[in-house]
Amino acid sequence: MSSSENKEADGSSAEESGQFRNRGFKILGLSKQDLIRIFFGGNASVAIVVLVLICVFLAREAFMFFPDHHHDLKAYRQSGQEYVDFASDEIKAHTNLYSSLNIAYFAEVNRTAKTEDTILRAYRALMANLENVTAKTWGRFERDLDRLEDVEDDLSDAKEDLEELDPEAEDFAAKQQELNQEIESLSSEQSQLTTRVEELREKLKKEVDLVIDSEEVWNMGVGAEEPPAESKAKLREAVLLSASPEIDDEPEYITGLKAVSKEKKAKAAEELSDFKDTVKAMQASIRPLKSFQSELRSIASKNKSEIVSFSTAAGRKEAWEKGAQNAATEEERQRMAAEAEKVVIKEPDYAALNQPFYESLGKHAELIAPIEVEMAQLYAQIPSKKEVQTKSAKENLDRAAVFYERFENTVSKNREEIKEWRHDKPITVPESVTAFLFGRNWISNSSWHDFYGILPIFTGSFLISIIALTVAVPFAVSAAIYVNQLAPHREQNFIKPAIEFIEAIPSVVLGFFGILVFGETLRAVSQVEWLQWVPGFPMAERLTILNAGLLLAFMAIPTIFTLTEDALNNVPQAFTENSLAMGASKLQTVFRVVVPTAVSGVLAAILLGFGRIIGETMVVLLVAGNKIKIPDFTEGLGVIAQPAHTMTGIIAQELGEVDQGSLHWRALFMVGMVLFCISLLVNFAAQKVLKKLSKI
Amino acid sequence: MKKTLAIFAAATLALGANAEDKIVIKGSDTLGAKMVPQLAEAYKEAGNEVNFEIAAEGSSTAFTHLQADPAGIGMSSRNIKDSEVETFTAKGMEIKDWTGAYDMIGVIVNEKNGVEALTLEQVEGIFTGDITDWSEVGGDAGPISVYTRNTSSGTYKSFQGMAMNKRDYGADTQKMAGNEQIAEEVAKNANGIGYVGLAYTEKDGIKTVKVDDVACEPESAADYPIARSLHYYTVKGKLSEAGAKFLAWATTDEKAAEIVERVGFIPAN
Repeated sequence: MSSSENKEADGSSAEESGQFRNRGFKILGLSKQDLIRIFFGGNASVAIVVLVLICVFLAREAFMFFPDHHHDLKAYRQSGQEYVDFASDEIKAHTNLYSSLNIAYFAEVNRTAKTEDTILRAYRALMANLENVTAKTWGRFERDLDRLEDVEDDLSDAKEDLEELDPEAEDFAAKQQELNQEIESLSSEQSQLTTRVEELREKLKKEVDLVIDSEEVWNMGVGAEEPPAESKAKLREAVLLSASPEIDDEPEYITGLKAVSKEKKAKAAEELSDFKDTVKAMQASIRPLKSFQSELRSIASKNKSEIVSFSTAAGRKEAWEKGAQNAATEEERQRMAAEAEKVVIKEPDYAALNQPFYESLGKHAELIAPIEVEMAQLYAQIPSKKEVQTKSAKENLDRAAVFYERFENTVSKNREEIKEWRHDKPITVPESVTAFLFGRNWISNSSWHDFYGILPIFTGSFLISIIALTVAVPFAVSAAIYVNQLAPHREQNFIKPAIEFIEAIPSVVLGFFGILVFGETLRAVSQVEWLQWVPGFPMAERLTILNAGLLLAFMAIPTIFTLTEDALNNVPQAFTENSLAMGASKLQTVFRVVVPTAVSGVLAAILLGFGRIIGETMVVLLVAGNKIKIPDFTEGLGVIAQPAHTMTGIIAQELGEVDQGSLHWRALFMVGMVLFCISLLVNFAAQKVLKKLSKI
Repeated sequence: MKKTLAIFAAATLALGANAEDKIVIKGSDTLGAKMVPQLAEAYKEAGNEVNFEIAAEGSSTAFTHLQADPAGIGMSSRNIKDSEVETFTAKGMEIKDWTGAYDMIGVIVNEKNGVEALTLEQVEGIFTGDITDWSEVGGDAGPISVYTRNTSSGTYKSFQGMAMNKRDYGADTQKMAGNEQIAEEVAKNANGIGYVGLAYTEKDGIKTVKVDDVACEPESAADYPIARSLHYYTVKGKLSEAGAKFLAWATTDEKAAEIVERVGFIPAN
């Protein structure tokens, strides 16, 4: 329709352009061209208006976070929770120390029964594998066996009932008949089940015989040690024995191993009894502080709920009053009005609330001093690294040394700080901002106190992006150079669409691939012996920073590839031709002329790739492992084998059920704001860099 | 065009005819994933002419839904919060709580793990991060990988209250989206531990451990320390007649109890 009109218009303008304006159809004095112009212009401005609206909405919700957060931090201090956390920190430091020594002790004890434990572990793995392989028959067999037992029970019940029937009773005949019928049907079911169970038993036996030597069954699992070769025959026998359905008891071989293992460990424990006593004494030494802390904790919790109740009192009163207005019946109205009356808006007396804490100062000092002395004594008694034999024990003694120092530091630091602590020490608004930007804890939906520090999720996002970029950039840029400059036409036509097709894969599909295939493979590969020089290998988890980073790299490749290729295309043909005319080879032209000219475009491509990566949600949510903790950088590059949480992931995960308008909700918006700013910055930088290109 | 109009008209007619007998149930995915849909199916089969609309998007949505549509039913795997009660009061509505079923939360480990039982104190230690190695609780040495639900889940909070003395989860815990995912990770990680609803404890590759010497089985529900109730919430006096009838059936009928048991919960009556 429009094309014929166009033709008409074209024709008329060719013939008599002067009359065109008069003949064209008009609405409100606007010609068709004007309307089209307004339509397109309107669309563009709608996009801008929507963008502005989003920004305003985001900014309003996000920045309301800081006043709320400030308020929340104030409540944390005024309720005395901050005070209680001094003791909690000391306990935490102590627990870490105690736990690492405990692990070292058990490593030493368990060492003596290592062979037995390895075989027992293998036995469990074998049984599990066997059960998985024969799951179908095994499940049916067990189900039928259970059912058979039930039927047999019912049958004997029915028979008993029949015997106990009173022949004098009125309905004797009817009941007798009923029971006889029941017995008959149950008996026939019993015989059916019995034959089926027998059949299945035979089938299961055959199946087990068939698979018992298969690799699938003898796969000990990721990272597990193989049982010693001489035990394998016995293990096989034991597994066959336990797998045979008529035997319920554990095979003798296994029971024997367990007993030996227990005996050996008991003997080792006796030899190491000094170590054990020291560790036990450590555990006992902290108890007084623990009970002290838990007492204060309940006081602080009560204070907190009082303070929170005060801050919501006005709202509650209003709610009841409003409810009273809307009430359907007079009775209801009066009840609600009475409730409203009951809500008292009275600011709590903070000084009184915190009185117990100030009073407990002396008690705290009194408790912690002997603990410190005792711990110093006990720590001096633990065996040195030379005295222990296992690698794990040595490592954990090293860890213990670090934790001991940390414990000492915490105690001495707290000693000063706790004296200066005041519940009414003001918290400034900038403090609430730094608590968000540099806070090391993100704890939401807590029963104690919520902390919103962005650092753990920010580092997670950042690390994943760095890995993704490191992997994606070389691949994408070199692929672009090859396709644009060096590849023959036929290859170009194949490679380009292939790479660009990656973008069409939905990220949730990629996420599933990451969990089920890629993560599993990565973990298996990380166990390979000659790859152990790679940092972070062997990996214990399959959902890790590395896994997420590699998948995101894959996702970023098309973005970087396409934009780099565009940048290379933008290099004027004359440059290449001149270079070739001067006698430079093709490769020289590419690397000395074309690529250097396009370098700012390539940079912009990388920046936009970064923007793509840091904003990606689904893959990191599924694959990164979602551990809200700043990755442990003491492991060096091995940090990539740890799980992490991301800014995008946390929004997706937590926004769903959070109360609208609550602090948590605003905190998530603030995280969104940070993401938004990063994206904005990246895009801005990319455009700046690109502008430089257009100056050539 | 005529055809679409006709279909549209028919659809509106059909909707209009059944508007009275439609029961809308929204809320927790613990209840809404299997139990309530199956109850609804059975209720219809029992000869009740009603239509159901069921949406399981998390416990909190139960209450937003009830405010918008007081004639409906909300389902929740946690108790209603005070702040939520307030918002109802503000609209002159009062909430009624029905216990739909009981759920046990099983502590699961990999089936290759030698640990068979833990004390409640050890469970607390593991999930708060005080205990970090299996050798500390009688297993083979190996760092414990802890998998939990994410913070917005009702189960996350219930578990914290019942098994962790209300202490915070350790920083090393990994937050998974659902029961299924936790079971999946624990099944693939020999050093994994996690918790799932009773209905998910039968998955391949995992096993439940005894807590304080009580096995996670429906028979021992009374003694098992980590059990909770699942709720239906309604607005007093506003619930539709069909809805009330359904709830009465779902919480007392024997057939309903059978279904509740089949999907892995413990009937309330």
